[in-house]
Amino acid sequence: MKTTLSWLKEYVDIDMSAHELAHILTMTGLEVEGMEPVGRFLDDIIVGKIEEVRPHPRAERLSICTVDAGSQKVKVACGAPNVAPGVLAPLILPAGRLPNGTLIEEIRIRGELSTGMLLAEDEIGLTDDHSGIMMLDPGPAPGERLTAVLGFPDWVFDIAITPNRPDCASVIGIAREIAVATGRTLRIPDAHMDETGPPIQELTSVTILDPEACPRYAAGVIQEVTPGPSPFWMRYRLHHSEVRSINNLVDVTNYVMLEMGQPLHAFDYDRLRENRIVVRRAREGESFTTLDGQTRTMSRENLMICDGQRPVALAGIMGGLNSEIFANTRHVLIESACFDPVTIRRGSKRLGLSTEASYRFERGADIGGAGLALKRALSLMSRLSGGKVAKGLIDNYPRPWTPPHIRFRTEHANRILGASLSQTAVKGFLEALGMDVRQTDDHELMVLPPSFRVDISREVDLIEEVARCYGFDRIPLTYPTIRPSEQGDAAEVFFHEQVGSIMTGLGFSEVITYSFISSDAVDVLRADKESPIRSVVRLMNPLTIDQSVLRTSLIPGLMAAVKTNVAHDQKGLRLFEWGKTFFQKAGDQLPLETIWIAAVMAGRFQEKTWYQEERKCDYYDIKGAAEALLNGIGLNDMRFQKEEAHPGYDREVFAGIYCAERRIGRIGRIDSDVMAAYDLKDEDAYLFELDIASILTLLSRTTQFQPFPRFPAVLRDLSLIVDRQIESARILDIIRREGGDFLESVRIFDLYEGKKLGTSQKAIAFRICYRSAHETLEGEQVNRLHEAIIEKIHQETGGRLREG
Amino acid sequence: MKAQLLELETRALKEIDAIAEFSELEAFRIRYLGKKGQLTRFVKQIGRLAPEERPAMGKLANRIKKELSDRFEQAKAALDSPKAGGRASLMDLTLPGRAPVRGHLHPISRVIQEVCRIFSRMGFRVVKGPNVELDYYNFEALNIPRDHPARDMQDTFYITDNIVLRTHTSPMQVRVMESQKPPVSIIAPGKVYRRDSDVSHTPMFHQVEGLLVDKGVTFGDLKGTLASFVHQMFGNETPLRFRPSFFPFTEPSAEVDIRCVMCKGTGCRTCSHTGWLEILGSGMVDPEVYRFVDYDPDVYSGFAFGMGIERIAMLKYGIDDIQLFFKNDMRFLRQF
Ligand SMILES: [Zn+2]
Repeated sequence: MKTTLSWLKEYVDIDMSAHELAHILTMTGLEVEGMEPVGRFLDDIIVGKIEEVRPHPRAERLSICTVDAGSQKVKVACGAPNVAPGVLAPLILPAGRLPNGTLIEEIRIRGELSTGMLLAEDEIGLTDDHSGIMMLDPGPAPGERLTAVLGFPDWVFDIAITPNRPDCASVIGIAREIAVATGRTLRIPDAHMDETGPPIQELTSVTILDPEACPRYAAGVIQEVTPGPSPFWMRYRLHHSEVRSINNLVDVTNYVMLEMGQPLHAFDYDRLRENRIVVRRAREGESFTTLDGQTRTMSRENLMICDGQRPVALAGIMGGLNSEIFANTRHVLIESACFDPVTIRRGSKRLGLSTEASYRFERGADIGGAGLALKRALSLMSRLSGGKVAKGLIDNYPRPWTPPHIRFRTEHANRILGASLSQTAVKGFLEALGMDVRQTDDHELMVLPPSFRVDISREVDLIEEVARCYGFDRIPLTYPTIRPSEQGDAAEVFFHEQVGSIMTGLGFSEVITYSFISSDAVDVLRADKESPIRSVVRLMNPLTIDQSVLRTSLIPGLMAAVKTNVAHDQKGLRLFEWGKTFFQKAGDQLPLETIWIAAVMAGRFQEKTWYQEERKCDYYDIKGAAEALLNGIGLNDMRFQKEEAHPGYDREVFAGIYCAERRIGRIGRIDSDVMAAYDLKDEDAYLFELDIASILTLLSRTTQFQPFPRFPAVLRDLSLIVDRQIESARILDIIRREGGDFLESVRIFDLYEGKKLGTSQKAIAFRICYRSAHETLEGEQVNRLHEAIIEKIHQETGGRLREG
Repeated sequence: MKAQLLELETRALKEIDAIAEFSELEAFRIRYLGKKGQLTRFVKQIGRLAPEERPAMGKLANRIKKELSDRFEQAKAALDSPKAGGRASLMDLTLPGRAPVRGHLHPISRVIQEVCRIFSRMGFRVVKGPNVELDYYNFEALNIPRDHPARDMQDTFYITDNIVLRTHTSPMQVRVMESQKPPVSIIAPGKVYRRDSDVSHTPMFHQVEGLLVDKGVTFGDLKGTLASFVHQMFGNETPLRFRPSFFPFTEPSAEVDIRCVMCKGTGCRTCSHTGWLEILGSGMVDPEVYRFVDYDPDVYSGFAFGMGIERIAMLKYGIDDIQLFFKNDMRFLRQF
């Protein structure tokens, strides 16, 4: 809500600076989100009095005005239609500057000298009016500074109104908070008027067919109005509250809405068939044209204001084209009603139509204030348009409001707040806020809030008000004794930290990518029709197609990150992400959320330095990282098993990762088609993904200390030639199995695949460490075991010892 | 034999002076001093000499052995420069070391870890919950009924009419209270989603929620706890203020502002010229929420708070563009 300082001052005395006021508002809960001065850079503008107007001899549309500028008389060329002798208007002389910075110079227009410029309101930033020069009220002398005449500078405050405070979506509401905070009295404006028209009952009637949706409908009639522009002061205030000025009839309804928070609507009385109002639900499919010219289809959710025959307004949202005020309107019927918030909200949501009125009704209008707002509007309208107000009002009020009676326990309030307020202080605060406070006994009050405080119905609502009035800043800081919660310390949280430090130690940088991906991202991964990664969770209302489904794979996000960085010429990438995938479940169940750690390597593994040559990364680099991570968190004996590739991976370079017979993840090269889809045709990328939940189940065991071996180890090397199809893991398995208790460890220390062995064979060398826990192994014993292992390998794989 | 020994010594010393590579040096050691080396062979022969010759020859052989060993060690030390070829005195100690590649933790993770550590030290425990949430937990049980304007405060991504992407971490309040009795002292970090994307908003971001419910917890406790957090996070001297606000699930509700870290309160663009920066929302748990989890509001009280991690990270590290967090550009990540 935007309003000016000068408008607020009409209802409450404010003698502090605009900045101090902004601070007070913010600290009472009305956050000032912005403030801007009005009437800055107006110092060069003075009051000019037009003395003579004659037409420009060579330009039809221009006049040459002789203007009294106080110290001198000047001739000014002007195109405005409203120039006339005697008019006072803002004037700027040569060498002066307009607020927008334009320097004014003496110029010749078609041969006639123009010394200065008469100004319109928009040229000085007061309103958006450019229909003519600004006409000042009589009084000021020519040559006086405009800022002095207008009482400037003024300020515009932009105040954030929380949804619970519709009463503050009004200038009076804000002024009331200022009055409470500064101990001043609130001045409610005068709504006095002369009712010179016929009795209203002879002119109209109001029928409410749905009293739940419309608990109150008040109406007044004003006759023989003269539509025309509103006065400057009203247009100025509307402009700075961001409401467009229409005419002196419509403006009054908007003005009173801003002033009091009560949305009003003005109907052209003559255009209401049978000159009466009926409030009813819309019929399903009924069509209606709102005053913005849009024809809309209604449903039972919409509440309609009708005349004797047809709908004339969308209740609480917008008026209709068929009953709108226009230039020839003679009589006006003003509506001041209260509608059920939920009805208005549903109707507004359904139509996608939100207005200043619906905003206020959705949050709750002041049902008790509808009458005063109506009177205020009639009074202003008769003053501005010269109309005659009908005698009396229609006030159809089928559901009269009764205030809630709220028990307030001072001790309870102090217990919640950690304060020690007296009952007298509390009573003072609540009364200042307009509540009816009745003392029950020394510990309790009975509080009846005013009708404009729709947010107050419970004791805790009052506690908040008391705290606000007392000042949050005055409540002392204390430190609670925090007793441990039964729940907490989710294993994944600490695991995330551990994984993060291992991965960064391995040179990987963490990325965070969006949980949503493009709906065709799974196609890019070449998932077949039955692939589980196709059971995506779809958003009903995505922002873009690229973010329309929840991810079933971290690959698209990681590849996008690789693409971004390759585009920025980053050569060697090591990225990891800790994130969730989402798989759809049947019916209205929440999707399955699975946490993964995924890491990708692309491009260069190491750069050229003084001690090493440049090298690209390959499968064994990513595998090494996966092993280091798993070892680091306490897992050993992983098995990498070649299997059918998961979507996104290269068919040939893909393995499942197993530990203790459990599948904990997958690893491999990214498919070249996928790379191409991310514009990475010339790159290779390697990836692993680990399922955190399954790893966590394996980590439940605590590490057990093993005593140091007491007997010496015996090392034996074993160099084999085997078929290239035979996986090293298979040979290692045989060695471990056959070595039994005497086998302490085995590692591959050499590998040869090359010309010397032909294309079908490879040489692998193992270093085996034999040791017994109970005795010193004899050479003979070891030899026998070693031979047996060689024999087994030969039997099972055809491998044989490499000579030499 | 003596002559042979002396000849060997001369030859060996000449050779070692010419050695410039580790590999040659090692070959030298094996050639002369190894198990089958030339000098070793002589030493083995000494045992076969006449007894009276043995002491002199043994002495000589030992002297030569010591001489060669010493010279070997010296040469080795000399070659011990980063790249073989220089003498020790010429070793360039300023050459860059053989550095392992260092990775970087995402700034969001860093801030979440820091926030969690601060609250863990106070005694809060960390919980996690689903990103995709029932309308019930995200809204209903937090006192945000359907058709309530408070729903407009958060633009929501819907999966179905009853399932949403959580718009805040607050559903964890209900999930935890629903499953246990007080004392409740938890924090819940995680991703949240709002249907909003522009210069200052991303459709996904991170929050940390906190909740303390026990007997006798006050608004003063809320102030103390959060002041302590702010001082640990932003420095002991950071002024802060509690300002009335509105959240449907807390009452009284307070926004916590800190003195602008950019301008120190004089007013700048970051703080919209107010001198203050909003960093977290908080309040006393609304009794309406207790009703959903079956706690007695006359027995228990508590406070809840929530903060946006991106915002804290931006203030802490001086990042001026929220979009950077999810671009995953190494030029950004490498700075943390
Ligand atoms: Zn600042």
